[in-house]
Amino acid sequence: MTTALPRPAALPRDCTFDPDDWAILARHWYPVALSREIGDAPTAVRLLDETLVAYRVGGSVVVAHDICPHRGVPLSLGGGDGSGITCAYHGLRFGEGGRCVRVPAHPESKIPSRLNLRTFPVVERYGLVWTCLRPAPDADPVIPAMAHWDDEGFQQINCPSIDIAAFAGRQLEGFLDVAHFGFVHLDSFGDPGDTVVPDYSPVRHEHGFSVDYWSTASNYPHGTDKQAPPGFRWLRHFDVHLPFTATLVVHFPDGGRLNIMNAASPVSARQTRMFAPIARDFDTDQPVQAVYDFNRTVFEEDRAIVEVQKPENLPLDPKLEVHIPADRSSIAYRRGLRELGLSHFFTA
Amino acid sequence: MKTVETLDVIVHTISLASATSRSYELRAPDGALPSFEAGAHIDVHLGPSLIRQYSLCNSPQDTGRYLICVQRDDAGRGGSRTLHRDLTVGQRLRISPPRNHFPLVTSSRYVLVAGGIGITPLLSMAEALAARGAAFVLHHYTSSQATAPLLERLQTSAFAERTVIHRSDQGDSVRAGLPTELLTPDPDTAVYVCGPDGFMTHVTAQATAVGWQPGQIHTERFTPAAPPPAGGEAGTEFTVRIASTGIGYPVPADRTIADVLTANGVEVELSCEQGICGACLTPVLVGEPDHRDEVQTPDEHAANTQITICCSRARTPELLLDL
Ligand code: FES
Ligand code: FES
Ligand SMILES: [Fe+2]
Repeated sequence: MTTALPRPAALPRDCTFDPDDWAILARHWYPVALSREIGDAPTAVRLLDETLVAYRVGGSVVVAHDICPHRGVPLSLGGGDGSGITCAYHGLRFGEGGRCVRVPAHPESKIPSRLNLRTFPVVERYGLVWTCLRPAPDADPVIPAMAHWDDEGFQQINCPSIDIAAFAGRQLEGFLDVAHFGFVHLDSFGDPGDTVVPDYSPVRHEHGFSVDYWSTASNYPHGTDKQAPPGFRWLRHFDVHLPFTATLVVHFPDGGRLNIMNAASPVSARQTRMFAPIARDFDTDQPVQAVYDFNRTVFEEDRAIVEVQKPENLPLDPKLEVHIPADRSSIAYRRGLRELGLSHFFTA
Repeated sequence: MKTVETLDVIVHTISLASATSRSYELRAPDGALPSFEAGAHIDVHLGPSLIRQYSLCNSPQDTGRYLICVQRDDAGRGGSRTLHRDLTVGQRLRISPPRNHFPLVTSSRYVLVAGGIGITPLLSMAEALAARGAAFVLHHYTSSQATAPLLERLQTSAFAERTVIHRSDQGDSVRAGLPTELLTPDPDTAVYVCGPDGFMTHVTAQATAVGWQPGQIHTERFTPAAPPPAGGEAGTEFTVRIASTGIGYPVPADRTIADVLTANGVEVELSCEQGICGACLTPVLVGEPDHRDEVQTPDEHAANTQITICCSRARTPELLLDL
């Protein structure tokens, strides 16, 4: 008899995605935590229904299955000291690269390589820990680009992540939606008197598409004394990196630039952790707490909507919902997802 | 809602600007008109629900009159036809004050790229730039000598040497490649593009592909990006035949294929009904569609294997659909 060990291709248990969809989504890179949240102690994170543990050894982050290869206890229940983590059950110790470095019951014996953790590649960028569950062999990581993050004069801000009880595709589509500002964002920046959506057209590129959207809809928070000159047209440049990341560069009247990344990490088909690194070249001396708060308000406004949308997933078949010209980005987004090979209707 | 203020103007002169376009000079009854900036447009009130935007194409320094140029578009939404047919010299017209959604940014150099009637705001910009001695070049893509709007004015302008006319009937279209000045990106140059939707999308995409930053490329849409739903004069009559039943249905000029099929009890899927979403894509077995959607790529259009029945029509007398 051969033994049925978990094969690399196995799906997570309790997978909420269609298996083929999961296999496609798992080839992409997603952020799973803010860099500053991962320290010596093992921390549990979840991505695409897979439970992962993240910890830091010697400065670099390890991301592995959160299952001790010995008897399956979550490693996130154990402790860590910067040079490794220790399982709560039998004290097995894991260090760099997830290698098992100590079996307390047999300190002198050889450690079988099968005791090493199953790890995933890690890239830290934009203050986030990115990983990929099924990287293509020998391929370089493809992390979505974020303009201005490293530019001179730009301040880098990393908002706390936001958990949303909805599918990442719905959340991302909401980020691209330009018709809801005057209805949903009334407490933050929306203007109920300026709801007309001027024409725009998405332009496809290698990783998704980009959109230049010109309108008079202001981006100044309510309650500031700043005002755009009359008739000023704001440029919002969206860039979508399929499947679930987009950046938005807002061009302010005084030449200032604000780049917000919306990296929707698909925890499951019904749960999303949204990361929002921000780069800006104005107010760079202002406290970041104000940015955290404003973004929280905006994303909470969005969350209230995406959590109640039905169906819970994103219908990729254009016949299943009704589209208006303001939806050109949504239509391009769904087309892009279809072209990745995702099924016409994400199962949940 | 803000209340919209309007101005009364008089149609002072109407002249031919090409075989298919006309220039209208508008003046105020009392001689004074608000000044405007290059790139500005006015709303022209042609009827209770017929308000159309036209860019001003005279020099902003040329005070006391507004010049617009309108190309007749028989497949359009009716504004240009009304103007061409009904406007007469001496007539009063209600317009909005000029509004600028397409302002010139400060830059060391400018490249202006016009497609067809998209020349109008760019002409005004060229005038303004020439007046202030700025560095610029104007490219005008047209289909032929006869239909090139405002050609005479371009050729006699102060910036005639800085104007390049491209004629697609001589094989010189923007599909053949970008204007020279756009081949290498330059951070100190602002690019202005105006023309039909496909033209602007193409130029923007090509320019971005060679490295121009999106913020450097300024565009203004002067027609809706999507073809209007066929209602009104959408073309000529043709027949759609359904493969499963063999029955043919005439599609009159003012109705869509989807309308006709639905009215005859043939079930079809629709969503946006304006050619943007793809819900109604239907396989074509015989006949050549006249594609009016923006769902399919140019290659898919050329393949003629599917048609959006909410808005597209036929180039052949009959289309056989796989329904
Ligand atoms: S109005 Fe768009 S979802 Fe309700
Ligand atoms: S119904 Fe949307 S393209 Fe025809
Ligand atoms: Fe929003």
